[in-house]
Amino acid sequence: MNLSTVWLGNAVAGLALVLAGSLCHAAESDLDPEALEQARLLNAKCLTCHVVEALRHPPRAGIDLKKLRRVILDPAAFASSAHGRLACTKCHTEGYTEQPHAPDANEMTNTCSDCHSRIVRKIEQGFEASVHAKNLTDIITCITCHDPHVMRSVKNMADPSKIVLQHNRVCLGCHDSDETFAKYAPEKRVRPAIDDIHSWLPNTRMHWKAVRCVECHTPLSDDVNVPSHEIVKRDRAERKCVSCHSSNSTLNARLYRYLAREEQQKYGFLNSAILGNAYMISATRNPVVDGIVIVLAGLTLFGVLVHGVLRFIAYRLRRKQNHE
Amino acid sequence: MNERIYLLPRWIRLWHWTNAVLIIALGVTGFGLHFASPAYELVEFSLAVRIHNIAGLALTGLFFFFVIANAASGNWRQYVPKSPGILHRCWLQTRYYCWGVFKGEPEPFPVTREVNFNALQSLIYWLIMYVVLPANIVTGLLYLTPQFSPPRIFGFDGHLTVAMLHYLSAAIILLFAIAHIYLGSMGAKVTSMYKTMITGWHEHE
Repeated sequence: MNLSTVWLGNAVAGLALVLAGSLCHAAESDLDPEALEQARLLNAKCLTCHVVEALRHPPRAGIDLKKLRRVILDPAAFASSAHGRLACTKCHTEGYTEQPHAPDANEMTNTCSDCHSRIVRKIEQGFEASVHAKNLTDIITCITCHDPHVMRSVKNMADPSKIVLQHNRVCLGCHDSDETFAKYAPEKRVRPAIDDIHSWLPNTRMHWKAVRCVECHTPLSDDVNVPSHEIVKRDRAERKCVSCHSSNSTLNARLYRYLAREEQQKYGFLNSAILGNAYMISATRNPVVDGIVIVLAGLTLFGVLVHGVLRFIAYRLRRKQNHE
Repeated sequence: MNERIYLLPRWIRLWHWTNAVLIIALGVTGFGLHFASPAYELVEFSLAVRIHNIAGLALTGLFFFFVIANAASGNWRQYVPKSPGILHRCWLQTRYYCWGVFKGEPEPFPVTREVNFNALQSLIYWLIMYVVLPANIVTGLLYLTPQFSPPRIFGFDGHLTVAMLHYLSAAIILLFAIAHIYLGSMGAKVTSMYKTMITGWHEHE
């Protein structure tokens, strides 16, 4: 793991810690404008250096730009991220009480579990069983996928397409890029062409815009609020189309789990929450239209059956009368 | 003794039966896809998608063949009810189906070499072949290439409108097919008209 990764890892973990704090304290900090303002002012100091602009116009002399380049943030992305309202020092604890901090400040941050202990406990077993943890034991950590300076909270993202974009960008960032894949994959492991291994899936790229990779590459979690982190290889991935493409779509317990029930039913369609974002064969059906079609088909069949029987009876009666 | 006239050239019969096979394949797989459920699968989902796509493309090609051959051969005129008195003839035909046929009355408008369809048939066949089926084909092609669907219609995903039109037009074709197959039994004998569609020779009393 390179230094920047460690640093960022620490940063994230620190942020996560704050979030630990944060899940514990988010509510009160939300309600405490003074604390928010303090965090904003503190972060503004950090972001005088940790932004791209500082590389072009260093705010002070003597900054190690090579080192700084590895720890640059996008202020807008950070502000809208799940950790964006926390002070940087919530995670970056040791040696960061004063800004600018000393060049040799501890690059280690608090860990994710410091704040997210409950969630980490729940996902730990699944993560340990995941293909990432098994094959890349020390390389893949929480922050490899969950960049704490960027990732937004799914709970606060009303638009599932944005959730899909955020999550699939992470997966495809490695699995659709030879360069990034090579950074993490075991030596000599060649990246399989992502389109080729998904060629069985109709409209593959359309699927990736509408659903997340993890819908198929993780087992369904027992706890709807804590999705499984057991990323499974293609041989164990979901290939049964009807898991999603049915009236009882598992997407309701996955991508659409945060949308309220009334949202899911509001258009009079089954799984309206899905419908609001993408029409999905067999999942977004209108029961009234289906009912009308089935009744009409039934009536037509019944009608021709009755007509046929009456024709036969009438024919027999006429024949009998003719004989008489 | 029943009279026979040669009514249907080979290309119409071949088109008709190919059309029938494709529509049955599309109907079965389409039903399976629309009502898919983990509890039962009429046809395995991804297989149904493949069959539906291939049969749909074949039906599209066949439809273009039908339009061109119909225009070139002059057969298109059969689909245009001749005025005057179209509605009155439709009424007489309906009355025959609902009443006259039970009384043993003769067909009000028997088939001739010049006029294959009665007014009711002309109207319905025209509607199915030149309105409903094209709508089904166009929406099916959009379904196949969703990148060409309008992104949003009426605040919904554009694909929804395409999908609903595809479903409803397919449902109309299904209802038509049920009635069409049954009405095929109303020839001189129950099997006469089915035989006509195979041999091209029409038999009437």
